[in-house]
Amino acid sequence: MEIVVAVKPVPEAETRLRPDASHASLDPEGVKFVLAGYDESAVEQALLLKESTVGSRVRVLSFGPAPRTEEVLRAAVALGCDSATWVEHPSDLLPDAVLSARCIATAIAGPFSGLVLCGRQSGDEEGGIFAGALGALLKVPSLGYATNLRWKEPRGQLTLQRSIEGGLEEVESSLPLVVGLQQAWNDPRTAKLPNILKSRKAAIEKIPWEATVATLGPHAIPGTVRRTFRLPPPRTGAKMIRYDSPQDAAAQLVRLLREEAKVFP
Amino acid sequence: MVVVAELRDGRLVEPVREAIGVARSIGGAGATVIGVYVGPPASEGVGEFSRAGLDRVVAVEGEPFARTTSSARARTVAELLRELAPRVVLLAGTSEGRDLAGRLAVEWEAGVATNVTAVEPLAPGPIQLTRPIFGGRATQGLELPGERAVLALRPHTFPPAAASADAAPVERRAPTLPQVPVGAPTMTGFTASATGRGPDLAEASIVVSGGRGVKTPENFAIVEALAESLGAAVGASRAVTDAGWRPSSLQVGQTGKSVSPQLYIAIGISGAIQHLVGMVSSRVIVAINSDAQAPIFKVADYGIAGDLFQLVPALTAEVRRVRGR
Ligand SMILES: Cc1cc2nc3c(=O)[nH]c(=O)nc-3n(C[C@H](O)[C@H](O)[C@H](O)COP(=O)(O)OP(=O)(O)OC[C@H]3O[C@@H](n4cnc5c(N)ncnc54)[C@H](O)[C@@H]3O)c2cc1C
Repeated sequence: MEIVVAVKPVPEAETRLRPDASHASLDPEGVKFVLAGYDESAVEQALLLKESTVGSRVRVLSFGPAPRTEEVLRAAVALGCDSATWVEHPSDLLPDAVLSARCIATAIAGPFSGLVLCGRQSGDEEGGIFAGALGALLKVPSLGYATNLRWKEPRGQLTLQRSIEGGLEEVESSLPLVVGLQQAWNDPRTAKLPNILKSRKAAIEKIPWEATVATLGPHAIPGTVRRTFRLPPPRTGAKMIRYDSPQDAAAQLVRLLREEAKVFP
Repeated sequence: MVVVAELRDGRLVEPVREAIGVARSIGGAGATVIGVYVGPPASEGVGEFSRAGLDRVVAVEGEPFARTTSSARARTVAELLRELAPRVVLLAGTSEGRDLAGRLAVEWEAGVATNVTAVEPLAPGPIQLTRPIFGGRATQGLELPGERAVLALRPHTFPPAAASADAAPVERRAPTLPQVPVGAPTMTGFTASATGRGPDLAEASIVVSGGRGVKTPENFAIVEALAESLGAAVGASRAVTDAGWRPSSLQVGQTGKSVSPQLYIAIGISGAIQHLVGMVSSRVIVAINSDAQAPIFKVADYGIAGDLFQLVPALTAEVRRVRGR
């Protein structure tokens, strides 16, 4: 099976968010970008599928600026991906999910008959648009919120579950298919030191931005313009309820929720 | 303006009513709001949709749609959009709606944004939007410059449209495109939420979550009783789901679900950053924790420092009392 994983470098979870000078997006200065969250699950799922099927290969793709994109691709190689492709863009470009999908689709190239895995949403802007857009561009079915992918050999079918409102949906599909992964509940693997060292020297195929622009033409412009990046007013800490008894605490809280916060029916 | 319907168990889901409300408010008085339904035959649900505040409804019903996922329906929806030519398509920001959004953006060649929490009234020029990013730790102002836009709205953010007394006219059409393209994913089963009763975590307007402070799986019933008294969904920290006290589908946080209810009550949860990113965008946060220094109190609006085993049953009793049951 041909498995492609698309990943996006995102700020690590502990990052202190700050707007940049234009106040239009995150200031990347000093931020550590990592392979994280949903994308980590996508890589893990790809590797699990590779290990359970004969002759599968995992190719990891990422669209993004230097140096973070290359770092994240090397991290994926260290985890066990077989090859990596970096679709580069200038660091001042703020692409959106549809443009990212177009660039990844270009890099996949040709009629695609395998499986594409990605996070069901990116770890930063959390749009959940990429999988559907990529599926439409490749003209193959797509679905998000997936977990637990299994390959059923005799009939060449993929089974998976979707964790959606109201419950768990069981889905069966053949390939090609684009799947957006829900977080894996089991902790994804971590890379072993020798593999990390090896990944530093791994060859990474690089597609320069000029080549992508030549392919995409007018579509190489993001369809979304970021205008503002605001932090919510800092939460000033809880109003602590002083009480004489649990009953008193409960009565005060219910009164506050009703009369002050107005959230209690 | 077009609003795409989503039904569950044959009934219209609430976020679709919210989308109709937004279509009305951003479109202004003269706007026409058309409802589009593509799915399995559903006379009751389509009837409900037609009374949800729309000007007209176009329904494409076909039995095989019952087994397909959204990507199979996207082609039919996109075909209708090309014909109806709206400026904006509004979707409920459910898993279904968000799966559809990216496909429609490409198939109908439109700008797209999801998780939208504010939309400026439509005027000539780009559409102006707001949405939370980074798990609600920041807010992004966005512009969609194109002529067409697909917007999926964050559930529970906008007031639902008032139902209309008269049903809007419904135009029923037979599907023209293949409903289950060869090799397309098909649904083979569905297991209702492990919680069974109560609203679903991601959609609930009140969430009550328990953490390691609850100490045993049996004690978790204290958390569930409070949730039940409030009509809330039950959530949990990863400490609880990792220990197997409750299923992983209840986990809130970085590696679980992101929730943003009107009210989030954290019980015996310390407030690790990985938990916080999944719930800080809740409107009002209450924390109950025996450690007055617990980080959860820094993000909470109201805090009670004390023993959950005494406080939570008292709170459940008080809620029942004021609600008269
Ligand atoms: C990569 C990664 C991803 C993660 N993803 C998630 C995630 O998605 N969701 C998540 O929740 N966590 C996640 N975690 C784990 C997270 O770091 C915390 O370990 C976890 O949230 C702790 O859960 P807790 O607050 O229930 O437990 P604890 O941190 O142990 O806190 C228990 C709290 O209960 C209080 N308590 C004890 N007894 C009582 C009592 N009698 N009355 C009142 N209060 C009492 C204590 O004061 C304490 O504050 C992740 C961690 C990593 C490394």
